[in-house]
Amino acid sequence: MMRMRTIKPWWVIAAFLSGLTFAMFAEELILSTHESRLEFAAPRVHFLVGKPLERLRNASEVPFVFKITLWSGTRAHILREVPARFVVSYDLWEEKFSVTKLATPRRAARHLTDNAAEAWCLQEMSQDVTGIGATEPLWARLEIRAEDDKESGLPFGRGNITDSGISLTSLIEIFSHPAATAQPHWNVETGPVTLDELRRARPPG
Amino acid sequence: MRTLLITGIFAMVLPVACSPLPDEPPDQETGPTNVNTRLIVEKVEISGEGITKLSDPLRSEIGEVAGKNFDQTLLERLADRIKQELHAPDVRMHVVKSDMPDHVIVNFEIGAEHEKRFDLDLARFLYDSKQGWSGQGHATVNIHENAFSFGMVSDGDRLSERFAGIQAAFERKHVLTDRLQLRFDFSSYHEQWNDATLLQAAPEDIYRTRTQFSPTATVVILEPLVFSFGVDFARYRLNLPVANTESSNAVVSTLRYHQRWGSAKDRGEHDLRASYSERAGTHFLESDPVFARHEAEARYRFRRGHQDLAVGFLAGLISGRAPLFERFTLGNAETLRGWNKFDLDPLGGSHVAHGSIDYVYRGFLVFYDTGAVWDRPDQREQKQSLGLGCKKAGFQLAVAFPVRSGAADPVFYAGMNF
Repeated sequence: MMRMRTIKPWWVIAAFLSGLTFAMFAEELILSTHESRLEFAAPRVHFLVGKPLERLRNASEVPFVFKITLWSGTRAHILREVPARFVVSYDLWEEKFSVTKLATPRRAARHLTDNAAEAWCLQEMSQDVTGIGATEPLWARLEIRAEDDKESGLPFGRGNITDSGISLTSLIEIFSHPAATAQPHWNVETGPVTLDELRRARPPG
Repeated sequence: MRTLLITGIFAMVLPVACSPLPDEPPDQETGPTNVNTRLIVEKVEISGEGITKLSDPLRSEIGEVAGKNFDQTLLERLADRIKQELHAPDVRMHVVKSDMPDHVIVNFEIGAEHEKRFDLDLARFLYDSKQGWSGQGHATVNIHENAFSFGMVSDGDRLSERFAGIQAAFERKHVLTDRLQLRFDFSSYHEQWNDATLLQAAPEDIYRTRTQFSPTATVVILEPLVFSFGVDFARYRLNLPVANTESSNAVVSTLRYHQRWGSAKDRGEHDLRASYSERAGTHFLESDPVFARHEAEARYRFRRGHQDLAVGFLAGLISGRAPLFERFTLGNAETLRGWNKFDLDPLGGSHVAHGSIDYVYRGFLVFYDTGAVWDRPDQREQKQSLGLGCKKAGFQLAVAFPVRSGAADPVFYAGMNF
């Protein structure tokens, strides 16, 4: 007679919890589509913390450099690299954040909570995906770096901020060097995923 | 009446309805990136060590920030200037809300000195085409408020002798109060003499070695007036067939004034230094030579943009018989530039009067010196010299010409901090 093997309930719970934990930490960069744009969210990434937050609460503005990298087809094929620069400040009296995207035209959002300010930056990084095949595998990476007080004088420093921000070349150059150990930085990525999958996963409405 | 009312409503609503929509998105921004620029700085405070040493121009610039809008770039620049002026390891800026709405208080916190700090610097370096090389270097160790320094020097420029040897000093910058400092200087030199000096000097005036010890105290009477007093014990071994040592022990006192005002960036910065010093060799301190040496010096400097004007004045008088190292010399890298001190007075003089004007524009230097050094009134003869060169960040390269009839015999100078 064949003996039935029973699965202990605590194994089920452990598997569920480890899966949940994996899911929580693995899916830090969440992709979604809206019309022809690819949007990014990273609810677990908080860059308005630590040293940058300390500087913000001391009335200083803190520049952050963002970069989205998209791969299509294979991981070896970079579809595009899009850097952008944001300057965050914190109103000491209103106790709210303001974010300015240094681009032409310059865009800004005021009176935000910390989470809303972070989300606004990511929202501004959305990408037009017209022309990308619906079944083509995509990978995406988000990199964020806070610029240090001292380094902001060079070569993309406060003194060099213009209405059009800084040149694309210099922004890409920033990310071509690894972040200094003391420099606050965050990297998250996801993929492969197709636009079809993202559209199917989108809640109706 | 109704028609009139409808017409009125249309007149008000139509222009609004027909006005073109703005081209820009609602969140398009052209204002400052830091929202705190709307806030007003109520006051600026400075905390930490060495606040009293801040210059008046910087103080006034810091004071001007109060009442204006918060400007992070300006405040960071001021923090950097405080750091530079005080040689502070760090100056942190803290911004907090004040009691008044939309106002902030800025505090510059000057970081404490490191417990130990070691400095090595070439204090002075000079090449003179007539006198040769001169140089002076120091190593300083700061422990708490005590500074120990040790240095080496070889100087053929300042005195009628070339002296080479070691220098050591201990300084305590605060004794019970910020207004009192103590300093002990020790030096030991070997001397070399020019033939012109040896020819004119009496054998008992020439010495081979000189050792000096000088404890002094400095009191800040009332900023910017400072008074130093102390004693200077000098022993020198004469260059006689029978070795003989003499002592020149003097009471030393100096009154100094230093004031700076204005700013080089706008209306110009003024800097005025003046001092009067007296050294009295007395039998009371068992001094062999008995003398009284008086020296008055003043220097005014005006800087604006790329222009830098300096006017200097020196007058001195020695009564009694002073050793050669106390006597006044002209014709070196600082006075009557272009003249050779051994042509003017190889022994130095007991009387001196000197004036100079230096003008620098974008690093290009021109100067004029005039003065006389003498023992007896009939020896007094005013000399003049002119020169040009370049001067930048302590480094100077110049050629100077004595104004006299006959062939021009220029002197070349190159060096730092002279």
